[in-house]
Amino acid sequence: MRPDERELDDELRGHLALSINERIERGEDPATARRAALAELGYLPAARESMRRVWYSRWFDAAMALTQDIRVGLRSLLRARGLSAAVIATLALGIGANAAIFSVVRGVLLRPLVNRGEDRLVYIRQSAPGIGADNMTFSVPEIEDLKSRASTIGAFGDFSTFGFTLIGLGEPRVVKAGLVSGTFFDVMGLQPALGRLLTPADDGPGAEGAAVLTHRFWSTVLGGDPTVVGRTIRLDSRTATIVGVLEPSVPYPADTEIVANVVTSPHHLDALMVTGRTHRMTELFGRLAPGATLEAARAELAAAHAAIVAAHPEAYQAAREVRLEVTRLRDQIATPARAILLMLLVTSAVVFFIACANVANLILARSVRREGELAVRAALGASRGALRRTLLAESLLLCGTGAVLGVVLAGPLVAIVARFASRFSVRALEVTLDGTVVWVGAGLALVAAVLLPFVPRLPEMGGPATGVPNAALRITPGTSRRLRAFAMAQVACSFVLLSAAGALLATLLALQARDSGVDTRHVLALDAPLPVEAFGPKAIGFYEEAIRRIGTLPGVERVAAGNVVPWRDIGTFGPFSFAAEGHAPAPDEEPPHALFRNVTPGFFAALGVPIVAGRDFTEDDRAGREPVAIVSQSIVARMFPDGHVLNRRVWWTDPVFGSQPRRIVGVAADVNDQQIGAAPSFVIYHPFRQVPFAGRIFVRTAGDPYVLVPTVTRIVRDLAPDQPVERAATLEDVRAEVLAPERVNAAVVAGFAVVALLVAVVGVAGVLAFSVSARTRELGVRMALGSTPRELLVGVLREGAGIVLPGVILGAASGYALAGVASSYVDGLQLPGPMPILGAAGVLIAAAVVASLMPAARAAHVDVVQALRTE
Amino acid sequence: MAKAPDDTRLELLQGTLDMLILRTLQWGPRHGHGIGQSIRQQSDELLRVETGSLYPALHRLEKRGWLKSKWATSEANQRAKYYELTATGKAQLAREQDRWSQLVAAIGRIMNPASREE
Repeated sequence: MRPDERELDDELRGHLALSINERIERGEDPATARRAALAELGYLPAARESMRRVWYSRWFDAAMALTQDIRVGLRSLLRARGLSAAVIATLALGIGANAAIFSVVRGVLLRPLVNRGEDRLVYIRQSAPGIGADNMTFSVPEIEDLKSRASTIGAFGDFSTFGFTLIGLGEPRVVKAGLVSGTFFDVMGLQPALGRLLTPADDGPGAEGAAVLTHRFWSTVLGGDPTVVGRTIRLDSRTATIVGVLEPSVPYPADTEIVANVVTSPHHLDALMVTGRTHRMTELFGRLAPGATLEAARAELAAAHAAIVAAHPEAYQAAREVRLEVTRLRDQIATPARAILLMLLVTSAVVFFIACANVANLILARSVRREGELAVRAALGASRGALRRTLLAESLLLCGTGAVLGVVLAGPLVAIVARFASRFSVRALEVTLDGTVVWVGAGLALVAAVLLPFVPRLPEMGGPATGVPNAALRITPGTSRRLRAFAMAQVACSFVLLSAAGALLATLLALQARDSGVDTRHVLALDAPLPVEAFGPKAIGFYEEAIRRIGTLPGVERVAAGNVVPWRDIGTFGPFSFAAEGHAPAPDEEPPHALFRNVTPGFFAALGVPIVAGRDFTEDDRAGREPVAIVSQSIVARMFPDGHVLNRRVWWTDPVFGSQPRRIVGVAADVNDQQIGAAPSFVIYHPFRQVPFAGRIFVRTAGDPYVLVPTVTRIVRDLAPDQPVERAATLEDVRAEVLAPERVNAAVVAGFAVVALLVAVVGVAGVLAFSVSARTRELGVRMALGSTPRELLVGVLREGAGIVLPGVILGAASGYALAGVASSYVDGLQLPGPMPILGAAGVLIAAAVVASLMPAARAAHVDVVQALRTE
Repeated sequence: MAKAPDDTRLELLQGTLDMLILRTLQWGPRHGHGIGQSIRQQSDELLRVETGSLYPALHRLEKRGWLKSKWATSEANQRAKYYELTATGKAQLAREQDRWSQLVAAIGRIMNPASREE
């Protein structure tokens, strides 16, 4: 049982009392007895200390000493608050950024998928580089052909995305569904979290409708209600039973809410889907057969695909260069993110490196200033170990605090970086802050904490204590050069990051300022899709009545219906191939493709899109009358350079739409409703009464569009109680939402740039402050000899410029070199224009002036007498 | 520090203090002061144990498990820590006594070769 410190004292005190008592009993007078007993006892602390030693090991003593040092260090750091704050902030930012990016990199690139045997899971992709199609997907006949020719793939799973109106789980809603064959889940190696998944028994037109909920939809929208299994729902016109809930897994190829069997979609059972070789809408997965390698599967499937292409030349125009690729599913999911994440990792590592250099700089400057103190302690007998321990205690305090703050900071940073990375890989969505971050942060801090005490030079041991008596500063040219070089490197790095951030910001601003051709501010867009079966006279009645009723509301200027909300409905309704009277494509030229849009009369006026020639649709453009169309201006510019386009005819050549010719009655101004800031695309508009399906309602208002949302919803529901009315937003907000990734993009890089800038400012200020305080005596002498404070101030500012200007030049040079290297890895990398570069240089120089001001002011206010007395 | 001009006092041999403490406690529990006094009296004032050696030794023996201690009030109504031999402590005392006898005999043979011839 280890006695505590007080017990040791008590025991010795008891001894003393007994000893005095005994002497008194022997006849000594109390005073003498006490004196003698004390003398006999000897030096008490020494006795006590040797008793302690029995119980406590050397390590414990070392720890106690370190605790003591930490207490001393805390006091001394509190005296140097500015420096401590700078070091801690620098480390926190460096560690936080690195920990966040590291955990995203780990989550996206390194962690295996939850799928069973995920390393044998492959993704098969058909692409057509000739027309810039990365992923054409497959048609059912293509899949059948591949299945019959492949022996290296044990089983195939197919998946197509389809939109349904789901009724029976709360409010009617539009859901994104995956339609799969019965082998899909087995091939993907996924398990149910509840109930069962789909099996081959669910295949074929005679099966019952069956649907599996994805875990995210089940847990977020349905609140994880286990009773949903077994419930019957309606998907458009068909019914289906919810048979189970899928385990949490990466949603690929699409983030769907439910997965259903093919029988739920009439489209998937009709002849076009089953026999149309070019009707491609299915993604294909495979599981390698036992013993087969990825290379073997690649070779076999490439050969099979070449044979299919040769057998059906009409479906694979040579100019399209259709080809097939096989990749591991995990790589397929991670690849788009790899380059960008690794670049981020390198960037954050650089930032961390600058941060460490900066901390080393600050500590070096501080310890040079402390050389006197250390020398005095060494002269008084402190061992080298004890001096290092003092420094270690301080650096542990600084780095520990920095690490804690860094880990705290890493939480929100992970969310930002994950959102950024989710543009490139869906896996980023499941990345959360985990224990690794804490370990990485602690590890980085520990490395820094242990290395930093070795930065400063310790006074020579055992040598003549020359430097001791006046405890003055002795700054060597080497120290000064090192400090300056560090600071210059920091300035250079932050210049590169600042220019990059400036360039991204410029792009964002340009995109935001770009005229989209649509009046975005006062137009409310709502999704109110009817099920596919309702298309026809019923749809015309429904939408026209809705438009009429909404139009009578106060404040509403115009109402129209269409089939696509600009920038939100991406990749639907085209582009499809078409032909036009009077335009003959050159032989071997790819036929023109246009987007397919249906609009009601007044659509163009509602969205503020001018009709530049001809007329708008009218109520007379209805079934039974002459088929008409409006085309976009870009079609005229590219296909009819003579401008004679009215009354010519266009027709779709894509088999989905038949090939009915339509007379062009109008030309609308260009709107790219797919991508903001991209070149206008070809668009062909049909009158809603002739092609009666829509799904989107547009309301142009005089006042705040959002106050109308409840009324509009009620009007639509009155017409059809099971009708989903969702995602009401002004086109302005839709556009802002679409630009969010660009904003996040700019924010992430700007974040790094700001960190680097802060670090550089601290670095420059630190070096100058050190230089000023090291030269206090010199400055004092110069003032005594007649220099004005102004001259000294300018001198320090000039010294600051001497660090920043070479840093900027170095940064510009290395930035251009770096961009050259990076452009071979990253597509579409552009060098920033002159504005961002000049801006970055301006910001840095301004920051440097601010950083120099404090030390410069101190230099200008040196007290001459004080300064001369320091030696 | 000036030593008391007490030439008759003997320095304790290295390693013998532990044995003396164990031996003193053979007759029952005692406190530190009592142990020191006892060694002094029994050696006819020839051996004096410094407080600075006695207490660390007591703690060392306790840590090794040869002694155990408890707080109690002395006859002089003074709270003190009493030390007592444990079972292993008794065994250790026996071992040390043996070793000591052998050591004394061996040294005696070297120092008094004459007595050996007798």
